[in-house]
Amino acid sequence: MPQHEHMERHRKLHGRRMDAEERDRKKESRLVHKRSEFAQKVHGIRAKIYQKRRFKEKATMRKTIAMHNQRSNQHANDEAVADGAVPAYLLDREGVSRAKVLSNTVKQKRKEKAGKWEVPIPKVKPVADDEMFKILKTGKRQKKAWKRMVTKCTFVGDSFTRKNPKYERFIRPSGLRMKRANVTHPELKTTFQLAILGVKKNPSSQIYTNLGVLTKGTIIEVNVSELGLVTTSGKVAWGKMAQVTNNPELDGCVNAVLLV
Amino acid sequence: MPVYNFKKMSPVPSAPDLIDIVLMRTQRRTPTVIHPGYKINRIRSFYMRKIKFTQQTISERLSKMLTDFPRLNDIHPFYADLCNTLYDRDHYKLALGQLNTARSLVDQIARDMIRMVKYADSAYRCKCLKRAALGRMCTVLKRQKASLAYLEEVRKHLSRLPSLDPNTRTILMCGLPNVGKSSFMNKITRGNVDVQPYAFTTKSLFVGHCDYKYLRWQVIDTPGILDHSLEQRNTIEMQAIIALAHLTCSVLYFCDPSEQCGYTVEQQCSLFRSIKPLFANKQLIIIVNKVDQLPWDEVQPEKREMIEDLGRDANCSIMTMSNISEHGVSAVKAAACDKLLEKRVDARVAGKKVDGVMNRLQVFHPTPRDGVHRQAHIPDSVKQAVADGRIGSADHKPKRSRKGYAETVDDIDKNDEDATMDVSGQLKTARDLMWENGGPGVWAPDYREQYDLKDKDWRFDAIPEIMDGKNIADFVDPDIEKKLAELEDEEEQLLEELAAQRMGEEPDSDLDSEEEAAVAAIRDRKKIIKNISQANRSENKPVLPRSIRGRTKDKHDRGDRNKDVVKDKMERLGVDASIMIKRGRSLDKTRGRKRGISVSRDVEMDNSNDSPGTEISKTQTKKQRRSRSEAAKREASISRGHSRPRDPSQIGLHSDAAVEAAKKLEKQGRRMWEGGAGEGDNRKAVHLVRWMNTGKKRNGTHYCR
Repeated sequence: MPQHEHMERHRKLHGRRMDAEERDRKKESRLVHKRSEFAQKVHGIRAKIYQKRRFKEKATMRKTIAMHNQRSNQHANDEAVADGAVPAYLLDREGVSRAKVLSNTVKQKRKEKAGKWEVPIPKVKPVADDEMFKILKTGKRQKKAWKRMVTKCTFVGDSFTRKNPKYERFIRPSGLRMKRANVTHPELKTTFQLAILGVKKNPSSQIYTNLGVLTKGTIIEVNVSELGLVTTSGKVAWGKMAQVTNNPELDGCVNAVLLV
Repeated sequence: MPVYNFKKMSPVPSAPDLIDIVLMRTQRRTPTVIHPGYKINRIRSFYMRKIKFTQQTISERLSKMLTDFPRLNDIHPFYADLCNTLYDRDHYKLALGQLNTARSLVDQIARDMIRMVKYADSAYRCKCLKRAALGRMCTVLKRQKASLAYLEEVRKHLSRLPSLDPNTRTILMCGLPNVGKSSFMNKITRGNVDVQPYAFTTKSLFVGHCDYKYLRWQVIDTPGILDHSLEQRNTIEMQAIIALAHLTCSVLYFCDPSEQCGYTVEQQCSLFRSIKPLFANKQLIIIVNKVDQLPWDEVQPEKREMIEDLGRDANCSIMTMSNISEHGVSAVKAAACDKLLEKRVDARVAGKKVDGVMNRLQVFHPTPRDGVHRQAHIPDSVKQAVADGRIGSADHKPKRSRKGYAETVDDIDKNDEDATMDVSGQLKTARDLMWENGGPGVWAPDYREQYDLKDKDWRFDAIPEIMDGKNIADFVDPDIEKKLAELEDEEEQLLEELAAQRMGEEPDSDLDSEEEAAVAAIRDRKKIIKNISQANRSENKPVLPRSIRGRTKDKHDRGDRNKDVVKDKMERLGVDASIMIKRGRSLDKTRGRKRGISVSRDVEMDNSNDSPGTEISKTQTKKQRRSRSEAAKREASISRGHSRPRDPSQIGLHSDAAVEAAKKLEKQGRRMWEGGAGEGDNRKAVHLVRWMNTGKKRNGTHYCR
């Protein structure tokens, strides 16, 4: 019975075959051809998956190469260092070519110039009532049809209690109620899961706003106290607007972009 | 009998592999075809099943891993500590904990998404939700990439650990590197441990087994330990320390007074002192190794004194040994085993369990009853046989008849035994002789030696093929000519008898040609019938019962019981079938229907007869005629069984009007989705699209709109 590293042990006792290195080398050099053969042969979903993976690999390869290049073009510029005596406040400066940095600042400025309150999804497809509501038949003979069930995701506050069935016109099913939203900070490019505070505006209809329906393009208020954002006056902001970017009823979650 | 066997753990797939496994299983094990036209409940349950199945597969997989991996709190402390040093206890627990969390996360996702699918109102929405659910579950798995990879490595390493039983009889070697622990292991077991002249050749615990006193002993080889504090010890040394700390065993501490190992005797002694607490409650022997290099007597007295001091301190014996000259190897093994065995027996006797056994044991010392000497009874026949030499002990072997056998060594006289015996007294085989005389192809044994002839001298005589102009093979039998003559006589006699039989024989048959033709026809027919039945029987198809088989199927294949077929058959056999058919007709069930129709025709006739007699309007006559024809149709179809519309009262409705109302209602209910594929179909077909159906429909304008 082999104990522990039995492969290494076998190699130590019996060695490797004579052409092992050569075989490894050949295998490696043949790999390219093998891959291309496969890539040409494969089709369907497997092809898509394969191409996507290869694309990713190649992208990372390109990026690493580019990174090395960037490093090389940002080398210290010795000639920029002034000759002779230098005042104390300039002593520890090195001559670095700032071309990259400059271009970045230009980009930044351009970005700031753009509209400050532009909403990420300016145009929203309106949602019709008959798509939004499902008619519930009531009454002993099931012939009254004044009740509606909301078929989209909704936000319902914590303190909400359902009315008496006699007076409850709109039913918001508890299975479709959402409490939290995945909010992306557009500048930080990071996403946080934040509690929803309320629905500010559903562009389709005022009724939807009142009912707290979450559709694509709805403006919601989220609790950003976790992020530690500060208002211009120095107070900690805890409620901020965000716009829903997906169809929550199709995805089962709410994605939103913070409006800054 | 390894108690701890970690080899059974199934491999842990990497995160992408696990995702592939799960999704493929879902694809293969759940239904795949759904149409938007199905009822929405069916669509929902189709997708819910997919989500549920994926979640079940994932949690099944993860639970398998969680149960497979040993829980460090539950296993023997030796293994728990070993796992801690090898794999880092915290890391191990964290990885398993993360898998556990992932499992509960997946469960939660599935629960939420299934709840949402319940409210979905279209196939598209169901599908989107399913896609989101599966995606989120896979993301959870993807995040476990690092833990899964780590656990796979742990599994591989764990499964290759030697199966070591912490509770059995164990001998354990310890000491500095290069003092001869592994060589000793190789001497007493078949462990086949690598032995090299550098430190830390043994990097982990090795296990071998040896036998002593018909018991199985586990021998553990540990890596060398250096003399420094516990915190400074590396993983390799820690394994040795753990084995020392947790196993109850007999410990052999190896010393090398020749100092070939690279450590001085002082260093060896100081190591002994520093790990001395670990020797408590163990059977310790100090082994002075490599005495072939430097015999114990020639060791410098001060060094000897130091080692003997150790023995006195620890209250243990000192033994000398050499792996090269094998001096004292078995003595050391025996001493270690004996010590441990004694301890174990003592412990067992001192323990509680022994009472249960001792209570049941009773030893008797029988006292002699009287002075009579009772001997074994040997039957007289046996005594006689022994005396004759037919049976007996090995020194006088029984003589068996060797008639018909070739001569063997047993038959050779004592005199020529020297020739076939080797110097060592072993018997020489023909094979040995062959190799001595030049190998195969050069020398072969002479089989003529074994010929069984009347005179032994004849054995090697040459046998000619032709002698005196005759082949001697023809004359092997001395009475050959006499036998030949007998044979010829017999043949002649047989021929004569045959001829006599032919003479007195009768002609073949007494039938005339007509009868013979009939017989031939019968035989032919029999043959045909046989062939047909055989052919039918050999066909591999379901056999119908005779009652069904006989019924008429169509005009080409009329059943056996068909009237015409029966008639034909019977006529061929020469039987008049008319009576038979008549009787059959009276029993035929299908004839009832014909009577029914004919009755209705009579009724119709009656009606038509009396109608012209009365004066009624044209429309009324029309109506009457229509109702009459309908009644006739109804009557005709009454006997048709299922297609016959049932009475309103039979359906549960009181009148025809109610039936009409029910029909109308049914139609109305269906109107909701009529034209669509089902109630889940939200698609608007072209003919329902408003812009295509309103406005002018002139030539050339309609399709352009």
